[in-house]
Amino acid sequence: MGIILVPHPDLLMVMYWFGEVAGNTLTPCPSRDPKYLSDRLDSPGADIEEYTPFSWESARDCGFISSREEYIRILRSLCIFRAERDLALISCHPGQEIIQMVRMLDQVDEAVNLLTEKALEWHAARDPTFSRKYRQVRGRRAREILSGSENQMMQAIVLELKNLSGLRETLSKEITILASDTMPNSSTLVGGVVAARLLSAAGGLSRLATLPAGAIQVLGAGQALFSHLNLGTPAPKHGIIYQHQRVHSAAKERRGKVSRTLAAKLAIAVKIDYYRGQKDPEFLESADRAIRNAGGRP
Amino acid sequence: MIWIDGILVSEGECGVYGERTLRGFRVWNPYRSKLAAYYYLGGDLEIEPEMRVLYLGAAHGTTVSHVADYSEITYAVENAYAPMRDLIAVASRRKNIIPIFADATLPLFYAPLVESVDMLFQDVAHPDQAGIAMKNSMFIRPEGHALIVIKARSVDVSRNPGDIVDEACRVLDNSLLAVRKVMWLEPYHHDHAMLVCKKVP
Repeated sequence: MGIILVPHPDLLMVMYWFGEVAGNTLTPCPSRDPKYLSDRLDSPGADIEEYTPFSWESARDCGFISSREEYIRILRSLCIFRAERDLALISCHPGQEIIQMVRMLDQVDEAVNLLTEKALEWHAARDPTFSRKYRQVRGRRAREILSGSENQMMQAIVLELKNLSGLRETLSKEITILASDTMPNSSTLVGGVVAARLLSAAGGLSRLATLPAGAIQVLGAGQALFSHLNLGTPAPKHGIIYQHQRVHSAAKERRGKVSRTLAAKLAIAVKIDYYRGQKDPEFLESADRAIRNAGGRP
Repeated sequence: MIWIDGILVSEGECGVYGERTLRGFRVWNPYRSKLAAYYYLGGDLEIEPEMRVLYLGAAHGTTVSHVADYSEITYAVENAYAPMRDLIAVASRRKNIIPIFADATLPLFYAPLVESVDMLFQDVAHPDQAGIAMKNSMFIRPEGHALIVIKARSVDVSRNPGDIVDEACRVLDNSLLAVRKVMWLEPYHHDHAMLVCKKVP
């Protein structure tokens, strides 16, 4: 049996938003300003280990307020103040913007592919000799084929597709710039867009920074991971990081090792990005060497 | 609760989320709100005008706005960034919603703000929903009530929803909350059960 320490009643301090109890006396806060009240709740001494139920009457009895309406009014302004402040803290972080930009990029990609696909089908309906066999009918090549059409409408569609893929390139460059600013080390390791995708999958830099390397390695391969855990299919070797050239261009039997090493180094890089926020050339150089060795090149 | 020709409504400022109105009252849709579904299915734990309610998992503030129409004050706890924006927008137009941007698994962070309440309503998507209810039961006054939505699919998609609810009941029966009734919210919500609990004195 352990010894249970019971503090002397005079030493017990209980904190409420409108005041604090020490011993048997409740001292009301000197100010009703939301910022003052909020800062007081955030002060280190305000950490409480136990909740003591209270009723609003104690706020009235100690003279902090005079009526229930006043109690609710001041509490409400305090809580709205705190919630708005916390929201602003999150939204002013560039990570949130990067996440939205990556989602937009994926959506533009999807739109371009879908429209190209439909336009090609339309084109095929007009030209009986058109076949996709023995050639790559994708992206720019597909647009070239389509622009050869005499159909005015098709010309207009091709123009829009060109504009959209131009937009995609600009957006992708923007993401790279913003990512190399926000996460300089991880962007150097895997490139801005892949780093941004990892950020988006994790839901924020703080979350990404707390993920273990193994989780970063399979981030984005959720379906394969859970089918591995539940059904015993082979474990995924890589998720989003596959998009990085060093992973997908590695020899097939080496890919697992490369992605493992890359993920391990990324886990460190993200932590430097989050906690230090500066580029660390020494780390980047050693990480680069490790990843290159994993690829089996001298 | 106000019923007009078998339709549950509440009285308050209209147009919070594009809800329909009926003779100037706001229609409370059981397909959108689990609490409304509970009342449609014969739930008798009503929100009285003098009640203080703690609402966990307030989300965009749609159900919260109806709860606030009936109650004296509603403490609305939400942890996600995007819904919180909407919740603040709702709270700033109503005098009796206290929005709290916090994690319901860590009630001590908002404990200094929340007085004793008459009713706890919980609708959170979390694997440990019974645990969250237990932790937050400290805010309920003795003999106060708790309505806890168990979203079976949020606990484990692959398990039988009935087993999950049984397990949640077992967990709660070992706490200060006694489960009085289990009500499945079919046909309004699939694999959702409402646990009606009373805090032991």
